[in-house]
Amino acid sequence: MKALVLLSSLGLISLLAEIFSFKKLLYPFVLIGLVATFIFNLTDWNTNITYFKMMHYDNYAVAFTSVILVIAFLWFLMSESYFKEETSLTDHFALILFALAGTVIMVSYTNMTMLFLGIEILSISMYILAGSKKDDLGSNEAAFKYLIMGAFATGFLLFGITLIYGSTGSFDLTEISNFVTSHQGTVPSIFYAGVLLMLIGLSFKVSAAPFHFWAPDVYQGAPTVITAFMATIVKTAAFAAFLRLFSTSFASVNDTWVNIVWVMAALTLLVGNITAVMQTSTKRMLAYSSVAHAGYMLLALLAGNSYSSSAILFYTTAYSIGSIATFCILNIITNAKGNDTVDSFNGLGKSNPFLAFVMTVALLSLAGIPPTAGFFAKYYIFTAAFQSGFTGLVLIAIVASLVGVYYYFRIIIAMYFKESTDETITVKINHKILLITVAIAIIALGLFPDFIIRLL
Amino acid sequence: MITTYLFYFLSFLAIMFALMVVFSKNPVHSVLYLVLTFFTIAGHYVLLNAQFLAAVHIIVYAGAIMVLFLFVIMLLNLNKETEPHKSVWLKASAAVASGLLLVVLVGSLKSAETIVATNAFDPNIGLIENLGKVLFSEFLLPFEVSSVLLLVAMVGAVMLGKRSIK
Repeated sequence: MKALVLLSSLGLISLLAEIFSFKKLLYPFVLIGLVATFIFNLTDWNTNITYFKMMHYDNYAVAFTSVILVIAFLWFLMSESYFKEETSLTDHFALILFALAGTVIMVSYTNMTMLFLGIEILSISMYILAGSKKDDLGSNEAAFKYLIMGAFATGFLLFGITLIYGSTGSFDLTEISNFVTSHQGTVPSIFYAGVLLMLIGLSFKVSAAPFHFWAPDVYQGAPTVITAFMATIVKTAAFAAFLRLFSTSFASVNDTWVNIVWVMAALTLLVGNITAVMQTSTKRMLAYSSVAHAGYMLLALLAGNSYSSSAILFYTTAYSIGSIATFCILNIITNAKGNDTVDSFNGLGKSNPFLAFVMTVALLSLAGIPPTAGFFAKYYIFTAAFQSGFTGLVLIAIVASLVGVYYYFRIIIAMYFKESTDETITVKINHKILLITVAIAIIALGLFPDFIIRLL
Repeated sequence: MITTYLFYFLSFLAIMFALMVVFSKNPVHSVLYLVLTFFTIAGHYVLLNAQFLAAVHIIVYAGAIMVLFLFVIMLLNLNKETEPHKSVWLKASAAVASGLLLVVLVGSLKSAETIVATNAFDPNIGLIENLGKVLFSEFLLPFEVSSVLLLVAMVGAVMLGKRSIK
């Protein structure tokens, strides 16, 4: 709740910056604000306060909010130039901060109305930011596609909520689960239809196959910094919301959705990884890889045991910091060379050893190679799924991650084993800080995964 | 008894107008049929004792939003030639997918008669007074948070509409 209030106020202050002309001070101010929010958020640890019976600030919520705030801080370090170029700078700050407020709601809601509002605040900001390069046709297309498909998915989500309210008489997560357990066998069948519709709506938001078709186009068309935001923060929040709903309200009716999620997870893993192999544009490849990573996280959702929440927390953390680094370097390379094909990474190992090293660490983490964070992220996900007896799916996931290794290594090979005559690219100081932090974090989390995994 | 007949009559009209929205060739006609669909839905709200919702529905959807829609369609000047042609496979798969969804929903609604209302019936439930009481007590937080949602939409509209200064 503190995080929600602070982030919304920061958003309002950024809007005021236009009027009282302190635009230049806004960037450091927002960074300090994020740090303050992070500290205030940590004071909620172990308090378990419920606000208005709408938001429950348990350790799950605090942990996910903290992860989101850390990633947001790194994201701001990455996208300083984005805020410098734009004429409507304060609007961008406000939209990003409101989107973060939406994510805070999504990780802590206990009521379906709050879930809906959180998802909508986040999505609407994203629709707009995806189209923020107004004179770029790709950006326009991304915003339009995202808006139309997103509105359609929201329709499914709302219809699902309606059917569930119609059958249980409540929006509250615990009341719904109490209703289901006390009416065993007599739960109206529209409840199950509601569960399925909500599953469709949320699968769209996390871009799980077969609801992933929007993701590559939107990720490619949107400005790279916004793509990084969507691939990391939006995905983290969406999975936190997904797991919260399905591990509380719908856990007792898992016969209805387990098989469906099983098929979806397998499809997402295979489609995401195999299609990523065929891409020439690095940005599009990362988009498909982000679809594939949603598949791994679905495994933990499916497992639905005591390991699930910590496994998803660790996975989103590892995946997000890895993605922030890759998108940051991709942005630097694209700006310097004018295109984002794999060939534009040629010879980076010689011309920019620092960039090449961090990119290698981040890609190894995304591929899941020890001793990086990504290895333990996959390990915990697989353990959670294995404990619940999804051996077949774990095998599919392992095969899929081998395919993943192939396309991540294509970039590493291009960087170290291909020649290029390009000059050295100068890296800005804030990008250097970001990349060094991320590289250290990836290796530290790989060596001491207990630090996060013991939290929940 | 009269409400049952009214319900079936309104439902028939709603479905018929909704189909007309999809099948009419002229986009302006589509929008006008959509307005009629909204009116029949508002009739359903009245039957369910939600008078305030019915009034808001007519004012906001049938009134404001649909007029905006009409303006946009007239400004865009949609012709038949500009519409991209969809392949037969695409149409067939769309029909199969939505048909399956229909089967699932109809199947689940068939047994819906067994649902018993948990709360006692209150004829005043849809009045604005009761709605306000619920909004400002039980649903206070969502009510306040929706202000952030509206602000986001407003900021976004201004940002996208603003001309960029070079």
